[in-house]
Amino acid sequence: MRQAGVGGVAGATAGETAKASGVAGSRAGNERPSLARMYDYYLGGSHNFAVDREAARQVIAAVPDAPLMAQANRAFLRRVVRYLTETGIRQFLDIGSGIPTAGNVHEIAVDAKVVYVDLDPVAVAHGREILGGSDRATAIQADVRQPDRILSHPDVRRLLDFDQPVAVMIVAVLHYIADADDPAGLIGRLRDALAPGSYLALSQTCGDGRGPDERLASEEVYRRADHPLHPRTRAEIGRLFAGFELVEPGVVWVPQWRPDAGCLDDPAAAGFVGGLGRKPGLP
Amino acid sequence: MTAAPPEPAARWPGAAAFARAWAKAVMGTSYVPMTQAELEQHLLSLTVRLAAGLTREPIDVRVGYEIGGELVATHLTSPEGLGRTVEVIELRLLRDLGMACEADPDGAAVQDRLARVLGALTTGFTRALRDRTLDEQETIRRAALVARDQAERALRVSEARFRYQATHDPLTGLPNRALFAERLGAMFAAVASHETARIGLCFIDLDGFKAVNDSLGHHVGDQLLVAVAGRLGDRITQHLVARMGGDEFVVLIEESTCVDDAIKVADAALAAVAEPVHIGGHELCVSASIGIVEREVVGTEPNEVMRAADITLHWAKSAGKGRWALFDPERNAREVARYALSAGMPGALDRDEFYLEYQPLVSLAGGGLVGVEALVRWRHPELGVLYPNRFVGIAEETGLIVRLGSAILAQACAQAVAWGGDTYVSVNLAVRQVRDPRLVPDVTAILHETGLPAARLQLELTESAVMSGDDEPVSALRALADLGVRMVIDDFGTGYSNLSYLRTLPVHGLKVDGSFVAGLDRDPPDGSTDERILAALVSLGHTLGLTVTAEGVETAGQAERLRAIGCDAAQGWYFGVPGPAEQVPGLYPYAAVQNG
Repeated sequence: MRQAGVGGVAGATAGETAKASGVAGSRAGNERPSLARMYDYYLGGSHNFAVDREAARQVIAAVPDAPLMAQANRAFLRRVVRYLTETGIRQFLDIGSGIPTAGNVHEIAVDAKVVYVDLDPVAVAHGREILGGSDRATAIQADVRQPDRILSHPDVRRLLDFDQPVAVMIVAVLHYIADADDPAGLIGRLRDALAPGSYLALSQTCGDGRGPDERLASEEVYRRADHPLHPRTRAEIGRLFAGFELVEPGVVWVPQWRPDAGCLDDPAAAGFVGGLGRKPGLP
Repeated sequence: MTAAPPEPAARWPGAAAFARAWAKAVMGTSYVPMTQAELEQHLLSLTVRLAAGLTREPIDVRVGYEIGGELVATHLTSPEGLGRTVEVIELRLLRDLGMACEADPDGAAVQDRLARVLGALTTGFTRALRDRTLDEQETIRRAALVARDQAERALRVSEARFRYQATHDPLTGLPNRALFAERLGAMFAAVASHETARIGLCFIDLDGFKAVNDSLGHHVGDQLLVAVAGRLGDRITQHLVARMGGDEFVVLIEESTCVDDAIKVADAALAAVAEPVHIGGHELCVSASIGIVEREVVGTEPNEVMRAADITLHWAKSAGKGRWALFDPERNAREVARYALSAGMPGALDRDEFYLEYQPLVSLAGGGLVGVEALVRWRHPELGVLYPNRFVGIAEETGLIVRLGSAILAQACAQAVAWGGDTYVSVNLAVRQVRDPRLVPDVTAILHETGLPAARLQLELTESAVMSGDDEPVSALRALADLGVRMVIDDFGTGYSNLSYLRTLPVHGLKVDGSFVAGLDRDPPDGSTDERILAALVSLGHTLGLTVTAEGVETAGQAERLRAIGCDAAQGWYFGVPGPAEQVPGLYPYAAVQNG
């Protein structure tokens, strides 16, 4: 539910500029719920509009833990970025970044280069405002389903050096990507562009351990909001790390990934499974 | 900010236990971007400040207000976070910090103080949260506006790009046919009927571009077009230069004052194209032909102007290329009429609109009728009767003369059979007929089908028809002579008059052009010169055993002189104007009438 990356899955195969902008013209307002802004609402933020809150409240009605899940993912992201920073990673490509509010990558990895990618033009515009004229972080509008477009984006090329390790973050995004869009293939194209020693951080909803009623209820809510959900099993999520060596503890419920202290009583309540993989080889 | 110096945590031994309980209470209520340990540390510092505020004299409630704000700043922003904070402070703070029994044994005073601080804390919290909410709403709305602006700008850019692509030639970058048509149309739309605005159009086509393409390849051809387009665009900056397609360009002069304006543009274009272009080691020298139309806007329309420019371009091409031509409405009218005749001719043949009139050929010696010359007429449904000078040339150009010649030959032979007698009928053969391999079988078949004796058919050939140098016409003429057909050279003395063919060709006679005859009426020296030429031609003919017929005889004096010279026969208005076939039998008593 860090909806971002597919911020506007709603409208959007955000392909052609003209097409996307034609749609964005209306979407830039607040007529349709944006995954990025719904996620902000789960996190207690006010970077959202009535239409986003309405959609988010419906999700919460179906999945009362939704705000907890968002928090758990944001905390997972924070721990991953801190881990990577300690490992020496200084470049981040955060795909599906959402509204870059407190605790985002550039605040945790303060001396790293960061490119935020989101499909929601409002999230991107907001991100640019927050980042101001920063020469080490920027936000671009793009679709996770078009990795080549992301990789060749001039801002990405300007800020990130793909001869050096880059951490690609795809946190709480892929459950909005259908199998038909070939998530493994999308990740493969990103992986191929990365230098050895690069990382992939990934999390998404996992249906394991959930009652079918609850699953159906949340899926129905997102489907009504034009954001159909695609939960995957932990094994399926593990396979998305093909070509990466998993960092301990592997693919787990996100609260279990290198927790600080006082882990949630029921990690599965977070609903998200995630992990961190390293592209083999010396940087 | 509190004015008091920071309180040492050591003063409150129970503060750490309380901060731990506080952190546990608010855990999970909000997303706080710090670890549990960091949160505990943070809440410990707040606890110490809270305790200090509570115990200060007089009480400082501002500390509660500040802490409420700091909780929000730490992102402990949820209602649950506030509720549990109030709850844990009320339940545990005084006890954990051992404050209840210090200065206030009954606890009433410190409870009162706590209530005031908590009130301030909730006030500070809610105010900070409200401010934060308003700020966030403002930034997100601003972001929405920015995003919309960007989307609209992107849309405009893409529309502009689309518009540019739709109106410009991708190869050369020049405006394309669509943009040109738009501007041309707009010009016409903007001009009211009483205005005197003028338009100039230069229609430019490269000469020999196809050869460049064919010999050096399309790639070089394309580069040449780009180079030429660039020069035209650079040199002709005042007017719209468009690429119409292929190697065609057009310049639209929207505020032309006179023809010279357009001619200057055309000269500039010719000069621009004339400079050699260097492409891939080749030096290409091309030229251009230009059709210019310059006229008032009123009274015409875009299509008409374009067509006129196109026609004029072809005039420039046919005049030798590398030049401009100026549209001439009269020439155009003639060509249009000519084209209409040309296009109408096959149908006219099918509908038998061509018919013959006959002019008598009279023996100068005896005065008797020796033959008639068949003269073709076209009974045009709209233009009336047309004479051969209007359409024979066209028929020769289009090649239809072969079909036409064959049709009138058949008609003449049939009519000659109908009127009987032994006079011949003389029919003109065009050059292309003489060279057509079907001539001999055609004549043979016609004679056979009509039953006309070959001796009653005379064919008139021009000198150019027999002087092609090829053997084929000569052998065809021999074959016709062998059939028994008479052959005469028409308009003798006006061509090159190469006499050598007279030795070898099976020719029976000469027809001397009427221009010599006309001189007979004139005073010396012209008159006497023409007379001597005629005498020489007659003498030449007779020497070779040929009959000599004079054309264009209009007066009795001319007839008398020709008779004196010894000319054999004559035709002309003096002897009779061309008339319909039905009148030919009436010509037989001619000699009797003439000779009284």
